[in-house]
Amino acid sequence: MAPDKTDVAQGTLALMILTTLDTLGPLHGYGIARRIEQVSGDVLQMNQGTLYPALVKLEQEGWIKAKWGASEQNRRAKFYALTPRGRKQLQAETARWSRVSAIVGRFLKPSAS
Amino acid sequence: MRPGRLRAFASRLRELFLGRQINQDLQEELREHLALAEAEHRRRGLSPDAARRAAQRDLGGLEQTAESVRDRRGFRVFEYISRDARYAARLLRKAPGFTVAATATIALGIGANVAVFTLADAALFRPWPYPEPDRLVALWETYEGKATRSVLAAANFIDYERENQAFDTVAVYQRNEGSLSGSGSPERIAFEFVSVGYFPALKTLPVLGRPFGSQDYVDGHAPVAIISDAYWQSRLGGAANVLDQSIVLDERARRVIGVMPRGFRAVSDVGREGPAAVWLPSAFRPDELTNRNDHEWTAIGRVRAGVSLDQAQLDLARISAAIARNAPEPAQARAHVAPLADEQVESLRPLLLLLLGAAGAVMLIACVNVAGLIIVRALARRREVAVRLALGATRGRLAVELLVQSAVLVGLGTTVGLAAGWVLTRWLASIAPVAVTSVQPVGLDIRAMAVAGGLAIATALLFGLLPLRQFSGVKPVFALGGLARGTLGPGSMRGRQALLVLQLALGVVLAVGAGLMIRSAMAISAVPLGFNPDNVVAASVALGGRARYPTLQSRIEFFETLRDRIASLPGVRAVAYGNQLPLRGSWTSGFIIEPVGGEARVQASAGFQSVSAEYFDVFGIPLAHGRLIEPGDRTGQSGVALVNGAFGRALLAGTNPIGRVIRRGPVMPPIRIVGVVGDVRRGGRLADIVPQVYLPATQPELYSLQLTQFAVSTHGDAPALTPAIRAAVWAIDPDLPITNVRTIDETLALQLGERRFQTWLFSLFGAIALVLTTVGIYGVVSYAVGQRTPEIGLRLALGAGRGRVLALMLRQSMILAALGSAIGLAAAYGLSRYMTALVWQVSPTDPVSYLQAAAVMIMATLAASLFAARRATRVEPSEVLR
Repeated sequence: MAPDKTDVAQGTLALMILTTLDTLGPLHGYGIARRIEQVSGDVLQMNQGTLYPALVKLEQEGWIKAKWGASEQNRRAKFYALTPRGRKQLQAETARWSRVSAIVGRFLKPSAS
Repeated sequence: MRPGRLRAFASRLRELFLGRQINQDLQEELREHLALAEAEHRRRGLSPDAARRAAQRDLGGLEQTAESVRDRRGFRVFEYISRDARYAARLLRKAPGFTVAATATIALGIGANVAVFTLADAALFRPWPYPEPDRLVALWETYEGKATRSVLAAANFIDYERENQAFDTVAVYQRNEGSLSGSGSPERIAFEFVSVGYFPALKTLPVLGRPFGSQDYVDGHAPVAIISDAYWQSRLGGAANVLDQSIVLDERARRVIGVMPRGFRAVSDVGREGPAAVWLPSAFRPDELTNRNDHEWTAIGRVRAGVSLDQAQLDLARISAAIARNAPEPAQARAHVAPLADEQVESLRPLLLLLLGAAGAVMLIACVNVAGLIIVRALARRREVAVRLALGATRGRLAVELLVQSAVLVGLGTTVGLAAGWVLTRWLASIAPVAVTSVQPVGLDIRAMAVAGGLAIATALLFGLLPLRQFSGVKPVFALGGLARGTLGPGSMRGRQALLVLQLALGVVLAVGAGLMIRSAMAISAVPLGFNPDNVVAASVALGGRARYPTLQSRIEFFETLRDRIASLPGVRAVAYGNQLPLRGSWTSGFIIEPVGGEARVQASAGFQSVSAEYFDVFGIPLAHGRLIEPGDRTGQSGVALVNGAFGRALLAGTNPIGRVIRRGPVMPPIRIVGVVGDVRRGGRLADIVPQVYLPATQPELYSLQLTQFAVSTHGDAPALTPAIRAAVWAIDPDLPITNVRTIDETLALQLGERRFQTWLFSLFGAIALVLTTVGIYGVVSYAVGQRTPEIGLRLALGAGRGRVLALMLRQSMILAALGSAIGLAAAYGLSRYMTALVWQVSPTDPVSYLQAAAVMIMATLAASLFAARRATRVEPSEVLR
């Protein structure tokens, strides 16, 4: 793997999907994949296939729901949207993530404390 | 389970059932993904071909993605299971010997348990067939100073019925037999007199018509009857206008006012051969309403909801006390209640529970054998397992696979077992005593299936997890050649030996039970009856109460005519009649023995029988002294009697009875004893010999005993004569019902039915245990011989004799047999008190039965071990040591 590309860790992918759907609204799988790659400035090279099992898991948890709609090319595509429970989960995850990254950040810059 | 987990589970479950649709959706979704990606790559300037390849690469392969999504969805485990089941079936087909042996063994265990459970369930466990059966109680009285239970006097019942506060209803019934006449041949049926609360207490009302009301009990009211569904269908052809019809019971027409629902069982049906067909209102005689000493009515009650048995008992005790205060009697009655269901089957409990235990033991023995087979097979697969572990199989997957294999095997065994159980149940129901089968219909039902299912699940788990233990030490590295051959470690060898000891012990316990039963049966059949039961058929006719036979003389005439008619039939040797016959009732009465010399009159009691002159010939009862009854002993001649040997021994201090005079009462005619005949066990082989007086049937003035029965001695096939005998009766009186037509042999067999049933079953289970245990021992010893072949070869090469080698192989199994027998004997001794009710003239700790059981088991072990160990003596040292 190239040194400047980062692999997507398990769990963080779920958070990225939820954030993406929160910002952009209902989106199909390809859209979500592209968005995640773009936001990461193409640093995050993901195997787009790994996205789909993650989507299934989020759907089973009831955080997102899927609906068939028309894609940009006007063909049938599956659109994913955040559910109210998903939004709540996103808030909880975001709070937890900031807490963790703040702590880790402090360890990485001990002089600042 | 937290809610999120639950939701995910439900969602997976849904996906499991929507599998095909979901797969199509996924394919479409992924294709659309590729199309979008391809379009974008082309927008960036790639050629169509390159764009498609790039899109494929980004996604990471269409099929891989679809596969990883499928892993997420549904339960992959189901897919694994169906694949494993196919694999298991293939394995079983490849080893037909193992499959047949294991299936048959499991089937035997399951079949035996299903059958015995079905029987015990019908008699003991299944709820009584009335609504809310737990509130139904039996009600009886005991009297001060007496332990025996007493049924109720009508007068007491009326008080209980009126005064109680703890019952919804109290009711009484009395079972009777009667003659139904009218259309077709006359028929003897069972019926019940019931009080008004009987049907409400059982919470079962007629499906057609109405139950009895208080108006039906008023004297002079038109006689009414309620009939059973079976009677309605069979005799009245299920006629819709049945409620306008009448039946003629005991020569009295009664209007049918109701038909009970199909399958309704009278309370008195338990322990009786035929179900009651008719119910009549209980008519208490005027004297019954005042006489509290006339105990004729069996009582039941329905306890009020929320009232405990103790409270109900106290409530009745209060009424008993009031009765004693108002109508003082020599003895004080005390009322008792107990659940009706328990009450009616109490005597069956020990037998059925012991049989369930025996069936359980058979199941355990069967499981030990199958477990042995499975362990050996597991050993052979250890290398395969090592290879699979090396290739990345998880132990969880392996466990699922083993469980599936075990489930397939057990499923096969259970299926065969259910079929075997069905056959066995029918056979058991046909030989079971009527006490067991009359409680509720015996049939393989959902409850028996549940028992089979439970056993199957337990055994499948056991057999699935056993080999897992064998594999616990297997490491992937063995696949590289670390494991030379599968051998039992010392730990699992000891485990197998422990199982064998358990098996032997269980086998000994069952063999002791079988031995006790067989020795009881032998003791019983060795008891001399004192009469010859062969080739004698007997029947009853009820002349009493029929207008055609108003006098004693007319009844004698009927029987004399009948005797002559039947005696002229071909094949008939002799015909006798009397009030009662051996095994068909008895009559005891008090009398006075006239003194000889200066002593006082003696009051005594003996069995009385009124018989025709041919009686002693028909039953082969020998004359000891004096003479038999002769045709000349008729009304008008001096009264004579015969007595049995016991009469002189018990009542005359061993002096000669001939010439002595007895009287039924001080003013009754004198009866001179003219002969002594052999002792007879009137009640059958289990009965005692009692003093007996035989009076000539043709001298009814001595003692007017009701003549009801006749016996026909034949030159051969007695049952074949029954139609001719019936025809002879009906030729004299076409309306006379003939009942209880049976050979004396049949009656004897029926009488011993319960004992024969238990002897058969315990012997059967003992035999199964013996066979299974022998097979188990054979398996263990031959495995041990196989294991030790190199060692044996070495010993032989070093000069050990073949006899010594054989002894070496036998020593171990004999130690196990001794240990198992000792444990089994101790267990049997511990259980012996439960056997007390089932043995006769044999102690439940009878040493002969115990020694026999142990000897049989040890012999079987020796034989099986010898058979298995022969191979050890044929080992060629030069072969195995190379």
